[in-house]
Amino acid sequence: MIKRGFFALVTIFVAITINFFLFRVLPGNAVTDLSRVPHASPALRHALLTEFGLDKPKWEQYLIYLNNLAHGNMGISFANQQPVSHLLLADLKNTIPMVTLGTVTAIVLGVFTGVLSAWRRGSAPDHASTNLAISAYAFPTQWLGLMLLILFAGTLPAGGMSDPFLFTAEPFWQHLADVGKHMILPAVTLMLTTYGSFTLVTRSSMLETLGEDYVLTARAKGLPARRIVWRHAVRNALLPVVTLIALELGFIVGGAVLVEVIFSWPGIGLAMYSAIGQRDYPMLQGGFLILTVSVILLNFLADLLYFRLDPRITA
Amino acid sequence: MSRLRTHRPAALLVAAATALALAACGGGSGSGGGSSTVQEGGVFRLGTSSTIDSLNPFIAFQSDAYTTFEYIYPTLVQYTPSLKIVANFARSWKTSPDGRTWTFTTAPNAKWSDGKPLTAADAAWTFSTIVKFADGATANSAGYVAHLKSATAPNATTLVLTYAQPVANVLSQVQQAPILPEHIWAQYATGNGKALKTFQNNAPIVSGGPFILTKYTPKQVALFKKNPTFYGQKPHIDGFGLQFFQTTDAEVTALKSGQLDGVEVPVPPTSVATLKAAHFQVRSSPGVAFDDFIINSSPDQQASHKELLNPLLRQAFDHAIDRQAVVSTSLLGHGQPGSTIIPPATGSWSDPSIKPTTFSLDSANQLLDQAGYKMGPNNLRTANGHPMSYTVIMPSDRASEYGNRSFQIIQADFKKIGVQLNLKVLDPSAAYDALTANNYRNFEISMWDWYPLTDPDFMLSVLTCNSFDVWNDTGYCSKAYDKLYSDQSAAMQPSQRQQVVYQMQQMIASAKPYLVIDYPDSIEAQSSHWSPLAEVGGGSFNSMSIIPMDTVHKA
Repeated sequence: MIKRGFFALVTIFVAITINFFLFRVLPGNAVTDLSRVPHASPALRHALLTEFGLDKPKWEQYLIYLNNLAHGNMGISFANQQPVSHLLLADLKNTIPMVTLGTVTAIVLGVFTGVLSAWRRGSAPDHASTNLAISAYAFPTQWLGLMLLILFAGTLPAGGMSDPFLFTAEPFWQHLADVGKHMILPAVTLMLTTYGSFTLVTRSSMLETLGEDYVLTARAKGLPARRIVWRHAVRNALLPVVTLIALELGFIVGGAVLVEVIFSWPGIGLAMYSAIGQRDYPMLQGGFLILTVSVILLNFLADLLYFRLDPRITA
Repeated sequence: MSRLRTHRPAALLVAAATALALAACGGGSGSGGGSSTVQEGGVFRLGTSSTIDSLNPFIAFQSDAYTTFEYIYPTLVQYTPSLKIVANFARSWKTSPDGRTWTFTTAPNAKWSDGKPLTAADAAWTFSTIVKFADGATANSAGYVAHLKSATAPNATTLVLTYAQPVANVLSQVQQAPILPEHIWAQYATGNGKALKTFQNNAPIVSGGPFILTKYTPKQVALFKKNPTFYGQKPHIDGFGLQFFQTTDAEVTALKSGQLDGVEVPVPPTSVATLKAAHFQVRSSPGVAFDDFIINSSPDQQASHKELLNPLLRQAFDHAIDRQAVVSTSLLGHGQPGSTIIPPATGSWSDPSIKPTTFSLDSANQLLDQAGYKMGPNNLRTANGHPMSYTVIMPSDRASEYGNRSFQIIQADFKKIGVQLNLKVLDPSAAYDALTANNYRNFEISMWDWYPLTDPDFMLSVLTCNSFDVWNDTGYCSKAYDKLYSDQSAAMQPSQRQQVVYQMQQMIASAKPYLVIDYPDSIEAQSSHWSPLAEVGGGSFNSMSIIPMDTVHKA
């Protein structure tokens, strides 16, 4: 366990280093964008370079970055001069509810349809479910999102996360209902594009499990089908699904860039999308740091869960 | 992202202009309306695909941030729909005979929204502060105060701007500068002025314009309430809201489904027919932007494409662009073939003698033959020992609009004259860096666009040698051109300045660092439940005027 924890920390450090250098290797830079105001002069470019510390050698910028991180300082956004930690926190608050809803419904639906498909393998419902899952998985997110947007125009909001034109605050429950209504389309898009992978992995894993001797024994003993499936087979088939869930949950924090862009959802995915265009290095470093840490931590948790699900696995 | 997004440009008089011009002339506030039949009240809901990056004018660079400043802060002057500069906070002005001193008389008894006096001293403080920190904290606003030596306010209603030399475009410069409340901002203008950029200026903001920004939620909405203390004529509406969208598809869908009352430019040409069918007011009027073909003009460019400097080749390329096909296919008819770098929609600064080059593949072939570029195998010509095959750099935002379609048309025609074009799409930041890399030696050709300001000074400055690595995207540098640029900057007589501006356009039309392809129309759409928004400079929501939101009312 300690070994795994140590490796997780090393991975985070390596990711921090890669995040720092990766964005700086990209062609283009923050000053190119931010100095594009009418009658901009070389003086403006120089002022911005100095202000952002980009006039210093890369290694010095890296050391400053590490030092700041060690003190819990993620830096100041180039684009709007606000602390990155504040901006990312605000974005996370918007992202997590929507992406959680989409991902959790995808997991539930995917596992459920995967189990049913495996249990009824070869039947018409199995074919229908598998083909639907493959199709949904194959849909480009932006296409599916736009189709839903057009299909539900007038019924559900086209963008944002609440009714924006209210000059006075609305009551809490009314606001909650409003946010829920705005959340439907992005969450459904995310759910539809994600659930297919859960269906297919669960089905495959279940088919393997259902072929095991102990399942045959359970049948021979006359146990009801529901009990065999849910009590004996599913638990053992869950290991690969848990890995997939851990990965997906990690990306909850990273947001769903395309979904947030299509539905103008003001989350962390959208923030990263804008930051890449503006070469806002502090925002990019901060966003990818959160993403990296959350994926690594959730995988670590998945490892812990493995021990519980399968006592044969040892640290 | 277009190359100049911070300020939307100026355009021709449009449909709603007649009534609005009445409102804007005569040195009044620039606000109009006042008819007894006008229905007061309501909140106008506008969708935009731009954003507000910061509410601090010394940080912001996105177009909607500048538009916000236009509506919440006073500016000395503003544009009318007919592109005349008229009074706003300044009620009148005069120039000294040597053109170096400008004296503005400002609105008396004006107040900020917190009740504090709004006087010429606020204006003087704003201009002085920009000058003081022009190389640092206020560098992004330094363009408003070019050549300004000092700004003083001898009394509450008099502002005196003293320049180091005569400046022809003082009014268009000061039009862009929001006047800030000194009593709020002065505490940050100390030392090296760095604190001017750390102040976030969050809503609600102490405002002096027709509206107060009461709420701003990043990436979601900005809400503006009518300012009861505004020195000019009060708006008819109670307020307006600006909702931010990431895609025009979502924006147009929200308009169609009644979640918005209007959408800011640019409405995609492909949406025009459906919006009209749904009974929305759709306005397609001559735009001030232009799409261009950039040919590397650096005399030091790599030998592998140095033939691009040959005037015959440039003429041939110009003849090989089927501008009419681009307009009808790419823009679906919503545009005009391009000719000069000062678009006709910006008014009298555009040289009417420069016409779109005729499309003729025969002429193009003859010119290339004349240049000695023989047709080789596979119908590909050879120049200086290498095949005439060029990479065309295009920014991704341009490609995702209609740039790809335009490129395909041009590529097909170039193939017929033995020239191969290969598209390379990069994001805007990377694209600009690719053009300027290695001191402009590397790139061959690019396709991009420009949103010039109404005054020609900025667009003309782009091609000066001083603009290298800042705005210059061609590698073009000519001392003769730079001399003319200085001349027009100091020409105080409009007719004299116009002649120089025409001469500069002719130089560029001849040297061809840009081949101007087209002028896309400015397309806007709004609900018929409201009076048409006035259009000023290619759009009804920009930093050129407060007239659109000041005059709009329920239909």
